[in-house]
Amino acid sequence: MTRLTRSLFVAGGFLSLLLTALPALAIDHDNIDAGRPLRFDDAESIAFRERAVEFGLAAYSPFRRGGIGVGFAAEYLYGFKVNSYYSVDFDPSVGARSGSGDKRFDAGNIGLGLFHNFNRETLTRPAFSARVDAYLPTGRGSRGTQFRLRGIMSRTFNQYSRFHINVDANVQTSARDGERSFLPTVTLGFTRPLGYPTYFNRTGLAEVGVRASQETGRGAIFYGGVGVRQQVTVRSVLDLGMQSDFAATNSGAARDNVRLIVGYSTQF
Amino acid sequence: MNNQRTRLIRRGVFTALTLSQILLSASAFAQGAMPGMTMPITPATKAAASKQDTGMAGMKRDSAAPRIRSLKERIDPATLPLLPSDLPKWMDGRGNYEVFYKRGAYNFGIYRIPTLAYDFNATGVGHSMAYEDIVRGNTTDLETATFDRINRVLLSPPKLAPTEKSIAPTFARRFGLLEQVFDWTHTLHFQTIDVLANPDMTNAQKDAEIERLYRNYRTSVPFAITPLPMNMGYLYNQPYSKRMRDNYPKVNGLFWGYHWLQTAVYDMLYGKTHAEQVKAYEQLGKRYHEVELYKTDRPFMPMNAETSPRFAKRFPELANIFDNLHMLHDMANDILVSPDLSDKQKDEQVKAAIWMVMDAAHKNERPGDFSTGETTLHDHRFMDGMPGMGIMPGGTKELMYMPEADMGWMSMEQCHHCSMPLPEEAMTWHMSTSTSQGVTMQARCALCVRDYTLETPGSAILQIPTENPERSVVLITDEKGEYWTRPENEKNIVFIEAEASHAGCSEWSQAFSSRAAFDAWVASNPDYKGAKPYSLKEWWAKQGKKPDTYYKPKGPVENPYASEANRKPGPATGDDNSVPAGGNK
Repeated sequence: MTRLTRSLFVAGGFLSLLLTALPALAIDHDNIDAGRPLRFDDAESIAFRERAVEFGLAAYSPFRRGGIGVGFAAEYLYGFKVNSYYSVDFDPSVGARSGSGDKRFDAGNIGLGLFHNFNRETLTRPAFSARVDAYLPTGRGSRGTQFRLRGIMSRTFNQYSRFHINVDANVQTSARDGERSFLPTVTLGFTRPLGYPTYFNRTGLAEVGVRASQETGRGAIFYGGVGVRQQVTVRSVLDLGMQSDFAATNSGAARDNVRLIVGYSTQF
Repeated sequence: MNNQRTRLIRRGVFTALTLSQILLSASAFAQGAMPGMTMPITPATKAAASKQDTGMAGMKRDSAAPRIRSLKERIDPATLPLLPSDLPKWMDGRGNYEVFYKRGAYNFGIYRIPTLAYDFNATGVGHSMAYEDIVRGNTTDLETATFDRINRVLLSPPKLAPTEKSIAPTFARRFGLLEQVFDWTHTLHFQTIDVLANPDMTNAQKDAEIERLYRNYRTSVPFAITPLPMNMGYLYNQPYSKRMRDNYPKVNGLFWGYHWLQTAVYDMLYGKTHAEQVKAYEQLGKRYHEVELYKTDRPFMPMNAETSPRFAKRFPELANIFDNLHMLHDMANDILVSPDLSDKQKDEQVKAAIWMVMDAAHKNERPGDFSTGETTLHDHRFMDGMPGMGIMPGGTKELMYMPEADMGWMSMEQCHHCSMPLPEEAMTWHMSTSTSQGVTMQARCALCVRDYTLETPGSAILQIPTENPERSVVLITDEKGEYWTRPENEKNIVFIEAEASHAGCSEWSQAFSSRAAFDAWVASNPDYKGAKPYSLKEWWAKQGKKPDTYYKPKGPVENPYASEANRKPGPATGDDNSVPAGGNK
């Protein structure tokens, strides 16, 4: 058994254990958090005093590198005050990854986040939120702290459809030579309940976005994705998604051909 | 000796009370007024009352009720309630203000009775679909397309609770505060039901947890609904009131059907084992789907104390909160379907309606507060014997008119079979109930509840206390009078029925959890030495005499709803109002 297969096996087993060991604990299918399964957030916070954990498993094939990489993600969220929550997350990975020839296990960076919603959406005013994350250099070869400031706007249109604009400013405090220290990203997300007026527990998602390549001089990367969030118990949601960095202004930019994501979120 | 003396005194008091109430009713009826009833409103008394009323500064009141609230009759804007100028800031808050429910192992216990949980899920969808269509101006289709769409969901309810604001996004965006008030109070609804459905907690533990849920409800958000008994006659007599009832009877009937289920469920669960709860919901759910959802001839929404008097007596604050919540639904419905109100007026009136039932609008007021002599927003009188029930339209402090099952005028502090006073305060649990024909009647003794049930057509759910507060006898009866009960009841339960005057029926007709408990009681009550112990089967086969103490209460008028055409000849769409069981399908 190769190391990669073993790692996959372990990660899959861990996820299965979580899925079965945790009693039905969710977050609504229509409350969108980044990574579950796409990159964007909606502007709604979790509830005051709510606790949630979100897990994800992703398999990806980096562009022009060959092989498959696997990433695991876990995030804990707590609504510490009305309309606000903090989060702690980590995302270990193993196998092929874009931007690096290293296939060894990487514990990943630990992220600390703070989210605040400024207002609920009304007929005339979108919902606005902001989120700040700090990623500590705990991963293999990481150095310096990375910060991300994200502005979020969610707006309903056409009765049930919603779009979500996420604008990110990523700042790397100790960028290596050849790496950018500032990476802007813009994502346009779209959500719509699926199955109305017969089914009420499923939301479809899609996104398109553009981000600056991590390497200087490699231009911008365009990405997109589709996904679905399905309420599976009264307190848990299963999500599935597929993403692709489908184009880049520079063909040498490090990116993923395709990413397949499965995730599970619970509240308790 | 002491026991005997107490019994004699109690009997004397009961008899005196009964006689005095008979005389009181008769004399009041002769005068056309009951003690405590609303005085006839004249312009002078109305003006005086307006001056005396201290809350809701600036709010105008309208006590005159037209017969039918037609949508063609324009509302005089001058009669609309005005918003107080000093509303707290949170009434205009911009945030979501979502608070997580209180944690507990009992949460989602309703899913232990899956059909009940699914039906509750469907009520959420039903509310949301109607609100979304109303807010989007699709009222012309409300009685047809919207009704049919909702009805499909009610017939095939979702297995998981939907997010209401995702079904009604326009409503939630326009009336964010109202949506949050509904949501927070629905959470209280669900959690109390979860507790009652939990088979691992004792009745005492359930009571204690429900008290904690109530405290959590009131202290966690600023927009809690008041636990005070509200004057329903006042709230349902605003200039826009009854427009939903009179113009959209089918969808209004659905709303009142949901509210019937949401109130009837409490006594259905209270003090019962899991097996009894499941069996009871088979019957109650059938009634809900076949009758209650499609009633279009109710003059008024179902009240918690009508459907769950046991729960309403034990938790009057909660019963009041749920009734006030349901009244807020009705007020919002009436406002939103009013075509003559502008969007701005609707926004203001919804906000005014929310404020009327907010805890914060009734600070330092107490149950029983009532000073003006007229129905007002701050009239917190409650039905005698039922602190979990505000004064009903046309009712008095002593009597309410119950159109369901043609009950007519009723006293909530008397046995509905023998007219004797029901147990009070600490002994409230020692009351029998029979749920049939969509209402739950209170009875003083085992004989009363049995005979009442057998005299009433249809199926029923009986709950009879034993000497052990944790153990009731529950019988689920069918149309033929056959009953289902837990198998051990046939073996263990023993009844005494030494029939005499009903002045003492709570003694001579009782249930005991075992023969030993029966013997112990007889030993301490020598008057009953030699009384025959009846098995459940033997007792059920008996029939008592007509109670010597019974009298039919008479209200100030024959029927306070008589002048209201609650069954309108045709809704806005021109359809016939009557809806077959199962809806239009």
